[in-house]
Amino acid sequence: MSMVSATSASTGLSRPASGPAIVWRQLRAFRILLPFVALVGVWWAIYASADFSPQVLVSPLAVWRAFVNLVTHGVMAEYASTSLRMIGFATALSLIVGVPIGFAVGVNRYAAHTLESFLRFLQGISGIAWLPLAIIWFGFSHTTTLVIVIYTLIVPIIFNTMIGVRAIPETYTLALRSLGASRLRLVRDVYLPGALPSIVVGLRLGMGYGWRALIAAEMLVRQGGLGDLIFGARTFGQIDRIMTGMIVIGCLYIVVDRLIVQPIENLTVAHWGALRQ
Amino acid sequence: MIERDTPSQDKIVVSGFRHFFETADGPVQATDHLDLMIRAGEFVTLVGPSGCGKTTLLKALAGFIRPTEGTVLCDGKPVQGPGRERGVVFQELAILPWRTVRRNIGHGLEIAGVSRLERERTVARLIELTGLAGFEDRYPHELSGGMRQRVAVARTWAADPDVILMDEPFAAVDAMTRLTLQEELVRLCTATRKTVLFITHSVDEAVFLGDRVLVMTRRPGRIKAVIDVPGRAAGRDWESFKIDAGLQAIAEQVLRLVREERGATAPSAAMTHAIGARA
Repeated sequence: MSMVSATSASTGLSRPASGPAIVWRQLRAFRILLPFVALVGVWWAIYASADFSPQVLVSPLAVWRAFVNLVTHGVMAEYASTSLRMIGFATALSLIVGVPIGFAVGVNRYAAHTLESFLRFLQGISGIAWLPLAIIWFGFSHTTTLVIVIYTLIVPIIFNTMIGVRAIPETYTLALRSLGASRLRLVRDVYLPGALPSIVVGLRLGMGYGWRALIAAEMLVRQGGLGDLIFGARTFGQIDRIMTGMIVIGCLYIVVDRLIVQPIENLTVAHWGALRQ
Repeated sequence: MIERDTPSQDKIVVSGFRHFFETADGPVQATDHLDLMIRAGEFVTLVGPSGCGKTTLLKALAGFIRPTEGTVLCDGKPVQGPGRERGVVFQELAILPWRTVRRNIGHGLEIAGVSRLERERTVARLIELTGLAGFEDRYPHELSGGMRQRVAVARTWAADPDVILMDEPFAAVDAMTRLTLQEELVRLCTATRKTVLFITHSVDEAVFLGDRVLVMTRRPGRIKAVIDVPGRAAGRDWESFKIDAGLQAIAEQVLRLVREERGATAPSAAMTHAIGARA
């Protein structure tokens, strides 16, 4: 209380209007961290309330030590980079393959109608449900993991590309055809920019689903990655390691989503979306 | 005027155009043995009750649909599909929202592979002609409805087609803007001799803009009457149009013809035919 008033008073001397604004902004930045702080608080309270065996629950401090230990020995970098490489490769491949398929289906009304239920059907069968078959076919390999992640990622990308293409007013294409546009021209000048906001939404959804499928697949395939890290730690009852891994999984998702995908989405939706008449 | 001396100046010839389209309630006959001829350089307006098949005719001329029956010729050749030589101006939602005014207007030239320098020259001239100066780098969502239609018109003119098909291009803009756009279109057409087919359901607009007004019957549409309107080429504005007794008499005549179609209650032979075809 006294600190807040002191801050506003000292800045208030030079610039009266901005003083409270700065404090308010700092409070808002802190607001995002609030639930995390609360979670750690509850966790610590539970930990302190009873005498837990380290095989069941460890303190936040122990998890922090495990984290530092894993980072300093390069173990975390090894596992995390495997997961990140996987999701990156799967995303790139899904975009390269999924967007053209989405276009092809989207421009053809009959194809779109025919495939819509089928794509929903595939969305219903999660990637993890394909794991038994994939393991039989491709063994406990990176191929299995990739197949699962690409399958999970590509369906929302195809689906949203298709939706995006279908939402483009027909007059855009008719007008361009009257200007002598070829099919390739229509894709470049109408379908791609017109469907871009929707494609980015599909990409973001796909990466969210894909990340979860990746961790699950890594847990079963056991060829590296953060899923392997936490599942491997279970065998030795390393609760601290499991929890560290879980936190890193969540944090990496936030980093990828907030720092890479969401800015792209904001850019396209704010720019292209607002440009829709 | 010299061109009129050569006998074959029929830019567009439609004969026996009969078209059906599918709806949830079965096939609907849009037009019935429609015949039509437009000379090169002529501005023809087409007026008729809603749903009389005006847009169907325009789509067939643009090459967006194939006629169920009959022929649609442009320069003596059957229309096979959309083409650069036949530009279309739609009612709305036709210019691309992700392109600036300048890039929308130059789009046809870009597709045609015209050099950047020449493209810029043409675009600048059309921006001047359509009163879009100062808005070159704006996006469509930053423009009023009237401005957007100016861009759509300018884009079609920039591509320099022989024939321009306009489907109620000013129907979605406010009444005051519409008057200005109509006057600007008259000026644009005197500056650039084009063959234009302009669809409208406004009688005044049809008479104001056209060298000839074609009146259509109600569905299934045919050409009911052709009325010549003198003096379009000399330029026109709404103030003088409203006090010109000759033009007002023509407008009244056209209005009468259109209202006959709207007011008709007894089912015509064609209508019974359409119902019979459905059953």
